[in-house]
Amino acid sequence: MAESTVHPPSKALVAQPTLSHRLRASATALLFLLPAAALVITFFIVPVIITLYISMTDMSTSTFSDPNFIGLQNYSRMFRSGAMGKIVRNTVFYVGTTLALFNVGMALVIALLTTHIPRRSGAFFRALWLLPRITPSVVYIMIWKYLAADAPFGVFNQVLQPLGIAPENWVLAAPWTMVILVNGFIGASFGMIIFTSAIESIPESYLHASRVDGATALQTIRYVILPLLRWPLLFVMTYQTLSLMTSFEQILLLTDGGPGYYTTETWALQAYHRALSNYFGNVNFGLGAALAAVLVLIGVILAIVYLRVFRFGELVQEPKIETL
Amino acid sequence: MYRKHVSGLLLAMLLLLAACGTSGAPPTVGGVPAPSAAASGGASPAASASPTEVVPPAKGDKSAISVWAQANNVETARAENIDSAAQQLGFKAEAIADPTGWGDYKKKFLLAADSGQAPDIILSGHEDIAPWGQAGYIIPLDDLINANQETFKNIIPELWKSVEWNGKRWGIPQDTEARPLWYNKQKLADLGWSQQEIDSLPDRIKSGEFTLDDMIATAKQAVEKGVVKEGHGYWHRPTKGSDFYQYYFAYGGALDDGSGKLLFDKAAAEKWFAFQRRVVEEGITPKNFIGTESKIWHETVTSGEVLFFNGGVWNFADWAKNYTKDKGGEEYLYGFVGWALQPSGEKGKPGVTLSHPLVYMVTSEKASGEQQQQDAFKAVTAATTPELNNKHALGSAHLAILTTQLDTPDYKANKILQGTAYMLEYTRFLPNNADFGTYDDIVFRAMSAAENGEMSPAEAVSMVADELQTELGDKVVIK
Repeated sequence: MAESTVHPPSKALVAQPTLSHRLRASATALLFLLPAAALVITFFIVPVIITLYISMTDMSTSTFSDPNFIGLQNYSRMFRSGAMGKIVRNTVFYVGTTLALFNVGMALVIALLTTHIPRRSGAFFRALWLLPRITPSVVYIMIWKYLAADAPFGVFNQVLQPLGIAPENWVLAAPWTMVILVNGFIGASFGMIIFTSAIESIPESYLHASRVDGATALQTIRYVILPLLRWPLLFVMTYQTLSLMTSFEQILLLTDGGPGYYTTETWALQAYHRALSNYFGNVNFGLGAALAAVLVLIGVILAIVYLRVFRFGELVQEPKIETL
Repeated sequence: MYRKHVSGLLLAMLLLLAACGTSGAPPTVGGVPAPSAAASGGASPAASASPTEVVPPAKGDKSAISVWAQANNVETARAENIDSAAQQLGFKAEAIADPTGWGDYKKKFLLAADSGQAPDIILSGHEDIAPWGQAGYIIPLDDLINANQETFKNIIPELWKSVEWNGKRWGIPQDTEARPLWYNKQKLADLGWSQQEIDSLPDRIKSGEFTLDDMIATAKQAVEKGVVKEGHGYWHRPTKGSDFYQYYFAYGGALDDGSGKLLFDKAAAEKWFAFQRRVVEEGITPKNFIGTESKIWHETVTSGEVLFFNGGVWNFADWAKNYTKDKGGEEYLYGFVGWALQPSGEKGKPGVTLSHPLVYMVTSEKASGEQQQQDAFKAVTAATTPELNNKHALGSAHLAILTTQLDTPDYKANKILQGTAYMLEYTRFLPNNADFGTYDDIVFRAMSAAENGEMSPAEAVSMVADELQTELGDKVVIK
């Protein structure tokens, strides 16, 4: 039997698609992408460019309509500020602690607990945990302030005093604890929903199999459920890290970055204070924009790091079974 | 069994959650519901701006003279007076009494001015003159003032200083105030002070005989003898505000160097910061005090639990209407509240106070999109009368801005305004400097840190000097 050799067709024989062919072929796809692209450009790209521009000007109340271009002076001023070291440490502490204890930790605990009880009861408990998120920020913070207020006003003190704990204004006595609790109670609900839906989508057969193998509930969680939650964990962790880095309204309303010397001032709050809130009027939009621009950069870097660490590419690749 | 445990755990978490969501009831003092309106702050901007949406109100009738004036349930006459004055002149008027906090109010104005939608007249603190004048949002008024000398010759001369910037006058004073040291006469009597000693306290402070050291010693004695509770001997302002600079002045400090530059006097500031720390260490002010809710502060001092406390004269109207109405309002307050200048930090030097006049400013064509500056000024002029200003002064416990007001029967009959009028002779103003906001942020944080014990007074002063140098460079003089 004569061996047949299969040669690839020579390039000259294969018709190469022209540019217009290629454009025509992808026209439909581009058309469908257009609305989303327009939104992204209008609401994400353009604001970033405007922010970068403002950050290189001396725009303030007194120069609002006629700012001068000052290059990188705002960035230099920002990094020379003696307070920046503390603000960076505060931001890392706030994001890391709230994320670990509540936005991922507590969220996972609630999701696991509520999926191990009857479905309706689980839904009820989860709905309750949504209350802090749906309560308007100002009302929510006022409630916390009066819970934590000094005697004879605060509810915490009414509970703690009989236990021999001296009454305090707890927001001012333990500001970080309060900031983390206040934000964590809101943040936990997001992960709770994501983790719950992920847990409920795990095929029952996996859980039954683990029971048949004699696994305890904790072992089932450790060896079956948690490994299958890798993607939701990555998503919640990435999303909530960025969210915590940029959110500040609860801290603003609760402690306004105090008490004392930038005790609870985070990067985003500092950007707000510089750009939009000055007690005696003359706000520095330029400096605030520089702070915001660096925050965006840090956010992008962190997102890339997360995606690399969790091997995002592998998580979202198409199942091999469908490519056979 | 397993489900039982899980449900138990969930219930425990639920209780924790419920604890955070069920306590919206307003606090009570002695079983009496707290007032619904918190008209705190008076002439001072609110300490924290809420992140509410800032949308300039749409301007309606273009031909109307429009005015924005910040307001609360005690201070409503600021906008009403322009409205009635404009109507007397036959102008259409559009007056907005804005109840939002000062932070949002000023942001609204900034956005409106930059888009040519500002009102013709804006009322704000005199310290806004520098940034708004620099931005071209308001116009200098010297020529118009000179042409209306009949009215403006009656403005109390001291007040003109507050509206000067770059050698011109940019506003018309609308109100002013003193910031007294309030004291509880009943508690002083309980401490063993004679009636003569109590009655002479304002004079002894005025002459420099009774200083801040004496105040601390008296308050400490009151705590030790159980006349007031621990930490209730002396309560200063609980939130950020200009009141604190009174202690800087009391130790010889100044905010400007006389040439228009901001000044930071390290020696005076260190004494001031040390004073703030001492009041906590001596047990007359609670630990972690700065940041206390204003409402709680007002309720506590008006229920007679604190010996000495700082505030503004406008507090009196606020307390009478919003905190003690059911106990008799003004009469109840007169029964135990006394007032004096802030004591000096140095023996033999007179006490001090600080005024923060609110002023009417006329906006430029660039800011308002209108060319009716002359008419707007006429409306301000027509509102600057003893009758209309008395309406505001008497209703909200603010001091007179016109010499002709002082002799009106209503003003004369007002005990608190008469009793504090002399304080204007000892008053100081904040500087009209566009960078004062930056200066104030740095100083306030350091002062709070010194009071909390987070830094020593010397460290806090050094930190302020470094920060001011970094932020403001040669725009500030540090000595």
